[in-house]
Amino acid sequence: MKDLKHRVLFEHLLSDVKNELVTQALDEGKKALGYSCYFVPEVLMNLDGCFSVRLRAPGIADTSIATYYMSEKTCMYSRSILERAIEGGYNFCSALLSTETCGMMHRAHEHFEMLGLVKDENERFFVSHIDAPFVTKDYAVQHYERQLKKHMLDRLHDVYGVDVSEEALRRAIEKHNELCRVVTEIGAFRKQQNPPLTGYEFHLIELVSECCPHELILPYLKETLEELKTRKADASPWYRVRVVLAGGENDDPDFTKLIEDCGAFVVADRYCFGSLPGREEIKIRDGETALSAIARHYIETNECPRFMNPEKVHGRKQYLKQLAKDYHADGLIVQQMKFCEYWEYERMYCQHVMESEYGLPCMGIEKEYINTSTGQLRTRFQAFVEALEMKKLQQGV
Amino acid sequence: MKYFGGCDVGSTYTKAVILDENGGIVASTIMRSKINAEQSSRLAMSDCISQVEALSSPDDLAYIVGTGYGRNRVPFAQENVSEISCHAMGVHVTDPTVQAIIDIGGQDIKGIAVAPDGTVKNFAMNDKCAAGTGRFYEAMARSFEMSLEEFSSLSLKAKNVIPITAQCTVFAESEVIALVGEGKAPEEIAAGIQMAVAKRCFVMAKKAGAINHITLSGGCAKNEGLKKAIEKVLKIKVVELKTDPQLMGALGAAAFARRKGGAAL
Repeated sequence: MKDLKHRVLFEHLLSDVKNELVTQALDEGKKALGYSCYFVPEVLMNLDGCFSVRLRAPGIADTSIATYYMSEKTCMYSRSILERAIEGGYNFCSALLSTETCGMMHRAHEHFEMLGLVKDENERFFVSHIDAPFVTKDYAVQHYERQLKKHMLDRLHDVYGVDVSEEALRRAIEKHNELCRVVTEIGAFRKQQNPPLTGYEFHLIELVSECCPHELILPYLKETLEELKTRKADASPWYRVRVVLAGGENDDPDFTKLIEDCGAFVVADRYCFGSLPGREEIKIRDGETALSAIARHYIETNECPRFMNPEKVHGRKQYLKQLAKDYHADGLIVQQMKFCEYWEYERMYCQHVMESEYGLPCMGIEKEYINTSTGQLRTRFQAFVEALEMKKLQQGV
Repeated sequence: MKYFGGCDVGSTYTKAVILDENGGIVASTIMRSKINAEQSSRLAMSDCISQVEALSSPDDLAYIVGTGYGRNRVPFAQENVSEISCHAMGVHVTDPTVQAIIDIGGQDIKGIAVAPDGTVKNFAMNDKCAAGTGRFYEAMARSFEMSLEEFSSLSLKAKNVIPITAQCTVFAESEVIALVGEGKAPEEIAAGIQMAVAKRCFVMAKKAGAINHITLSGGCAKNEGLKKAIEKVLKIKVVELKTDPQLMGALGAAAFARRKGGAAL
């Protein structure tokens, strides 16, 4: 396939959190709001005058200082975020919006306050902690809505004068939905038998949509969507098997590329936060306020493994099964970052259910935030691809 | 007569096997890997080819498959297949009754469950660490100032087992040196090392779903002390292979080459 027009640009934008589009938005006087969890609604960080930046730590090799503060038994993602913050990598941010969901990441965020990070650059910088519920009941949605108002909207309004009126929220939802529609439409190409994009390319697209100011990245995404409508795939599919890649946080497109280099097309991504779930449109019901709709949307659409009510636990497996069906996957890879408190058990349970109850071949992978030593991972992926391929041959597919 | 080659470029040893049309092994070699995987594969295959009168270069082979960590760097291979699939196939063509393999190579341990047709049913692999692998045993033998062969049978003389707590190669070496310094019996320390590795193998085997008819492959399969320890922790007798277990990856690669080259398995 011919290269995507903006592939190199997207790779470049992901090589640094403070990329050129972020810099452009800052120059325009907008406030950058950092986050690292699905339960900090992206839509609320994109009210007029501010923009969301998913915190990443691309290229980080050493987390010694963060490990001193947090211990080596915490996940490398949370330590990497703290290390990058200590290095000054997020000094451009006006606020860090945190949630009490993942304990380790929450600790990392607390260290922003304890160590006075970013404050030297911006004395109005603040860290705000949102308490996200564990269940999907109505009272939980109401609690979450109150948390969003108190710890996000009120703070943004009080500190930076952000307009948090009903009208402003509705405008933000409209803009957010437009971006979601474009990303979803791009992602849907992966359902095709011989699709005009790879899983790696989609991972780049999804990530830039989270790491760049929406208004500035949207024209590039729209252009990419138009390009894909006429992009010619190779005469026969390049892949040997199709897989759904699921698991915790994954902002490393090279991990997706590694899987695809072994012959497995990553047809769907179901991460901690990404496109599935993550790019569904927010719908406001009759009689509902914009904030209520947002709170309900994030509680209903989340696939977070900390939700332990039986319908959610079972629903997460059903969701994966449905993704595999919709995207015509031959198997499933569940990745989990080492020491991730939620995905450690979710991965094991998921593997068991997908294989024994749904008959979908499944491989579990424990990974680091940045995977530099890839030899053994490559062997595992290739062996999994070979096993899936053999299964297809035996079934006469 | 058509011939088919398999080349297994491992982290410590490179192995090559040539099969004839009927699946018979006509040549094989095992040699220490060089730092350059391409060079290792050329040397091993050349040595193998020199054992067959009808062959003079890799071009004379109908099909060649590369495997092992250097599988992408075998210049004369038409294809590469992961060592997990190759070990399963190699063991299967050697003994079709085997249902699971514990492969202990130079830098990792794998548990592989084998389907009745020789394909991989399930597998598990250790993470990153060299504990319990060939590299680990080389370090342990060095601590005892012994050859690998001498160390492998040392534990067989032990009357007691001194438990080794460290799994990491570096820490285990320090622990062993301390125990030797305290004057503990070397064979009892060696028995502790073998037991620690055997337990690690147990975990890999069980993770892969191994139950019965288990065999060992890879260079460490020749370690008698380890074999006894594994039999003890798994409470079964491991299946003895007729062919050198270190050749299983290369043999499996050659078997895949034979199938790709047109001969039925």
